[in-house]
Amino acid sequence: MSTEGLVRRVAELLREVVGEDRAWLDAVRPDTLVDGELLLESHELAAWSLALRRHYGERVDLVEYVAGLDIDRIIALTVGEVATHVAAGAGT
Amino acid sequence: MGRYLFVSLPLTGHVNPLAAVSRELVARGHDVLWAGSESYLRPLLGPETAIAPIPLRAHRGQADRGMAAAKSRWDGYIVPHAKSTLPGIERAVAAFRPDVLLVDQHAVAGALAAHRAGLPWASMATTTMELTRPYRALPRVEAWIQQRMAAMWTAGGLAGEPPHDLRFSPHLLVGFTGEALTGPLEWPENAVLVGPALAPRAPDTDFPWHWLDPARRHVLVTVGTLSLDLAREFHARVVEALRPLGDSVQAIVVAPDGTVPDPPTHILVRPRVPVLELMPRLDAVVSHGGLNTVCEALAHGVPLVVAPIKGDQPINAAQVVAVGAGRRVRFASVRPEPLRADLLAVLDDPSYRAAARRVGESFAAAGGAPAAADHLETLLTGLTERMGGAQT
Repeated sequence: MSTEGLVRRVAELLREVVGEDRAWLDAVRPDTLVDGELLLESHELAAWSLALRRHYGERVDLVEYVAGLDIDRIIALTVGEVATHVAAGAGT
Repeated sequence: MGRYLFVSLPLTGHVNPLAAVSRELVARGHDVLWAGSESYLRPLLGPETAIAPIPLRAHRGQADRGMAAAKSRWDGYIVPHAKSTLPGIERAVAAFRPDVLLVDQHAVAGALAAHRAGLPWASMATTTMELTRPYRALPRVEAWIQQRMAAMWTAGGLAGEPPHDLRFSPHLLVGFTGEALTGPLEWPENAVLVGPALAPRAPDTDFPWHWLDPARRHVLVTVGTLSLDLAREFHARVVEALRPLGDSVQAIVVAPDGTVPDPPTHILVRPRVPVLELMPRLDAVVSHGGLNTVCEALAHGVPLVVAPIKGDQPINAAQVVAVGAGRRVRFASVRPEPLRADLLAVLDDPSYRAAARRVGESFAAAGGAPAAADHLETLLTGLTERMGGAQT
């Protein structure tokens, strides 16, 4: 699967978590910041992490991944980086 | 009688609960002094309270949201504020010779001054930010904060490492919330939760009370002090949510003059409102979820729609939802239709108001400012006894 396609699919799972619409989804790009632009809160991150795990398998654990990041890396986290983490965990 | 030195921050939400405690201690005959900016504190504390003036310094602006806000809260505010206020606090300590310091959890200079003088001190939790340890799942963020506090310790001329987390006094921690709202949490052993500390504020003689129509329901919209752009955009969506409700609802929106263009006649826009006087007449509050506003609403049994932005606001919003006293919406993107639906649910479904009342009753039982003053007196008595009554 292309990175672009995977970004779209992980963003779609997040869209369901936060209850946003199609226009919101269309605005999400690989370089969209999870913290500064999508304004994700911890409970939304946890729900997104669960949804990703359900879709892509047990080795995908976004909460654990973020827990390993320092403050600047959390601020800089992009949707593309989340997709890369998912791809690594899903073994694709 | 005791001598109490207050160390807070020039932020209204932080000062208001401590101002109520300060007033209570003064009424009981204790000596009270505040160390801080007189121009900022005077209107909040009233003419009688003694203030050891520390000039207000402008600090770098804080980021508005998310982890960037957490980072700038420390690097742009807490750390530089501690550095610029420590000398003034130490002068106040030397001149006033307090028995105890009362220190806001984010006014770290107060903790440093207490350690330097070898004085007991109490931490004042005026937000939920530190109480719930929101970064416990992010160990590297926690470590980063500990590094900041260690650096402040060293810069304050103290040797070695801080002996404990400087946001948590080993002597006493007073939190201005209650378990009916927070749910069960692991509190430090010396923590007491007294509920909101409310005190009468300067009356607003200009407020047009006659505008309120007793036949309609009343909603207060207040999102604290935000960057103007963020507020403007949110208020525009709130106005659209309220627009078709004029038959049954009147709303008071707290916003600077001119930032809400052409509001319909059932929406009153005011730069300031007498929140505590309005509360008994309100049916719902739309808020960013600052702890003061949330607790003031709940103390009056008023349910909320919470649109949290940063800091402890998402935590407070989650707590309001968990106890059934309101709903939460996404501040950044909530559109008028769902916002209207959430507001009408909170207005129409009596379960929200009933839950708000339950929390309000438990707040009243927690005791507020008088209970905080009791604990501060007990702290002093305990210290005096341990010293064998040898205090002069």
